[in-house]
Amino acid sequence: MNPATPAPRENQGAPLERVDARLKVTGEARYAADIAVANLAYGVLVTSTVARGAVSELSLEAARATPGVLDIVSYDDVRELRKPTFGMGSYTSLGPLHERRIFHDGQIMALVVAETYQAAEEAAASVTARYAQEPASAELDSPGTEELDAAGKVAMLKKDPASGDFEQAYQAAPVRIDAEYRTPTQTHNPIELFSTTAVWSDGQLTVYEPTQSVYGFRSEIAKQLNLDLAQVRVVSPYVGGSFGSKGPLTPRTAIVALAARRLGRPVRCVVSRAQGFTTQPYRAPTRHHIRLGATRDGTISAFSHEAWELTSRLDNYAVAGTKTTTRLYGYGAVASKVRIVRADRQTPAFMRSPPELPYVFPLETALDELAYALGMDPLDLRLKNDSQREPIEGKPFSSRHLKECYEEGAAAFRWRERNPRPASMREGDWLIGFGCATAVYPTNVAAAAARVRLAADGTVRVQSASHEIGTGIRTVAGQMAAERLGVPLAAVSVEMGDTNLPPAPTSGGSNSTASVCSAVLKACDQVRARLFQAASAAKSGPLAGRDVSRMTLRDGTVLAGDGASQPLQQVLGASGAGAIEEYAEFVPSGAPVDAMQKLYRGQTTMVRSEERPAVSFAFGAEFVEVRIHARTREIRVPRLLGAFAAGRIMNTRTARSQLMGGMIFGMSSALLESTELDPRSARIVNADLQDYLVPVNADTGTVEVIMLSETDTSVNPAGVKGLGELGDVGTNAALANAVFHATGKRLRNLPIRLEDLLGGDSAA
Amino acid sequence: MTHSVAGAGMSRRTFICAAAASTTALPLPAGARAAAARQTAGSSPHGAGLRSVDLRINHQDYALSLDPRTTLLDAIRDHAGLTGTKKGCGHGQCGACTVHVDGQRILACMTFALMNHGREVTTIEGLSEPGGALHPMQQAFIDHDAFQCGYCTPGQIMSAVACVREGHAHSAAQIREYMSGNLCRCAAYPNIVAAVQQAAAPEA
Repeated sequence: MNPATPAPRENQGAPLERVDARLKVTGEARYAADIAVANLAYGVLVTSTVARGAVSELSLEAARATPGVLDIVSYDDVRELRKPTFGMGSYTSLGPLHERRIFHDGQIMALVVAETYQAAEEAAASVTARYAQEPASAELDSPGTEELDAAGKVAMLKKDPASGDFEQAYQAAPVRIDAEYRTPTQTHNPIELFSTTAVWSDGQLTVYEPTQSVYGFRSEIAKQLNLDLAQVRVVSPYVGGSFGSKGPLTPRTAIVALAARRLGRPVRCVVSRAQGFTTQPYRAPTRHHIRLGATRDGTISAFSHEAWELTSRLDNYAVAGTKTTTRLYGYGAVASKVRIVRADRQTPAFMRSPPELPYVFPLETALDELAYALGMDPLDLRLKNDSQREPIEGKPFSSRHLKECYEEGAAAFRWRERNPRPASMREGDWLIGFGCATAVYPTNVAAAAARVRLAADGTVRVQSASHEIGTGIRTVAGQMAAERLGVPLAAVSVEMGDTNLPPAPTSGGSNSTASVCSAVLKACDQVRARLFQAASAAKSGPLAGRDVSRMTLRDGTVLAGDGASQPLQQVLGASGAGAIEEYAEFVPSGAPVDAMQKLYRGQTTMVRSEERPAVSFAFGAEFVEVRIHARTREIRVPRLLGAFAAGRIMNTRTARSQLMGGMIFGMSSALLESTELDPRSARIVNADLQDYLVPVNADTGTVEVIMLSETDTSVNPAGVKGLGELGDVGTNAALANAVFHATGKRLRNLPIRLEDLLGGDSAA
Repeated sequence: MTHSVAGAGMSRRTFICAAAASTTALPLPAGARAAAARQTAGSSPHGAGLRSVDLRINHQDYALSLDPRTTLLDAIRDHAGLTGTKKGCGHGQCGACTVHVDGQRILACMTFALMNHGREVTTIEGLSEPGGALHPMQQAFIDHDAFQCGYCTPGQIMSAVACVREGHAHSAAQIREYMSGNLCRCAAYPNIVAAVQQAAAPEA
């Protein structure tokens, strides 16, 4: 059996091959910087070597004199550009060339454009700057930072969730946990480098750039360059990984477009790996104070989650994961508070599971601590506090199969064979630890549009400006059309990643499959209706006069209720139509009436889980085995296992791959990844793929994914909850809990490194 | 939008002309005058400082005129127009640019194009005929869903083919070790191991 193609359970789609598989294994899939453009000039960024201060002098003479250099865009050259607006469209309000102030390390100071990439690099390297440097605050605890309450000041949090009298309940609790946790700065580092290619033709601008939001980019580009939306086209057919980094626009794009306009020549700027760390957003470091109170039987009676997140001096940004953690279990009283800490850094933004990955870590680690304090199995503690209602407003969950996830996952992992005593399991020189934690991700859904054409030859074309970032969205959107129109997937072509297509939401928040498939479903149903009408309205033929409400479409054939049938090619032929084409707009219930108009203007309006009458989340139970060498403290992860319930699974192949990759991403967030800053300068010191650690193949053991059958049509017409950001949530806590089980050492700060395990514990 | 360029004996200049001819020709804009004015003797990209480099890629000859600092990776992508090979770091840290030179896997970003003068370079495009049967490793990657975004995939496949050829695919552990120079941020690693095992297995 091939583990990549799990047999579908009920309400799960077939593990069909990706529609773009051949393109991807032959090198024919075109990513933004692959697209051939005639007469290209090459741009290279010049970035600051201080994190805070003023640029008193920027010396460009040597750069201008470099053979092959065509132009340099710097201060004084951007009067035609409007500054970015902080929000969903742009991650920052910083216009780096609008003023000579430096707000963060590696801030853009110039763009050098030359005939060749080599000349541009040489020239950029010759630029020197003098600064009036100021002391910079790098981290949450650095002197000089400024702390604010987040609620009401950040888009993600209107009010801190709370319920009941936490202090009283906590003081009354016989068993209490009170601890602090930290997660580090992390940088997305998709393997595809960030890039912009700007091409002008008769006042029209085409931008080729990897993005999770072609419409969002178009809108923000038009705004910054003072253009009409119709003058800008954004094209991004395949994206080489995003993880949030390509969601909002960065200031580079308008600068490259401006250079191309000045030069009268297309310009391509591929950003270096190091500059990707400073000219793009990142995951902010967080600090958490968790307090849990419980009765001796393991019933949680009080939960408080206070958090601090770092942001820039310019923009109030926070992911505010308390919205999820305060609803995760049936706690008694709940208190929460999120604060933002303004430092001399660029503005952070979404990174895979933005709120949940850093916020579920402290909760799920604290639960493990509570379980040990109670002498209870950590799994049983979670089941004990499982609830079908969330505690903040008492709303029901639309569906919640966390218990089933734990049961099936624990059986497959052989969890119950674990000796609960810390540092009790060993094989040779290797200490063995098992840990578990809950995975959770809210079900987001947004307005989306799609156009579907059924041609007389039985081929189908699906168009929607979503983004193939590796999720398999082209495949599942095609699969939805194939299923509804009764044709094989091979007969379906899917076009995405272009503002010339009907708009789709930002590919973020794991909303795409739900939103886009719902739009495709609606368009397909309109096509079916027209096809059935044509069959019924025919003067003669096997379906003439039949009841359209009882018709179905299967294997290229229209079937009537009485079993009469006619191939769809004949139906279309008889009607005289060359094709049936339908455009559909899907607007989820609870969305504002202007959600679709906003979408055309580049704004995605998510209907969020907690805003619905029944809150909805996808759930999972994750299990991790670690092996820690008794002498060297080397940490290995031979086994990851996750059992998930995420509504309808469109394709078990692509879903498994996402969940598997997610768990490895989660493992990495716990063991490897940390963007390190020098506290004296607030500069990043590991801005490359050698020193910013990401997992390699040899870091990865076996990863088992179990997808439970779950049906929940209340979430959206497609019944999809979204799972791209589910697998990586909780893995970090499960891993830290496994490290505790292996060694008896409780580690509350990520990442966990072997030096954290040297000395001072009971396990050697 | 994309062009299969790369005829035998095509220089970069003729490549650019061919590409220009086959897309909408761009008008010579007013803004170009500033650039032209700034160009002094010797700064022409087609003038001093360029070297002729003969590369043989996928059994085709390319006569390129390159800045001697051009890496093999940039020559393959920007001058030969073969964009299947990817740039992920430019520092030999990610493996996305893996190609074969004289049958050995190398990182194309870590070697200058002119150091490969006259050698046989194989890229992902040379592994199978366009539209034809796939190389067994390519098919194995499809069968095991050994990619998500697909960006690192050409490098993974070129490494995987070499890994088998080198005799380093005898066990899952060995494959993991010898495939660890190729980063996959989507983390398709277990599927990559399964794909390499399938392709390495003797025909049933």
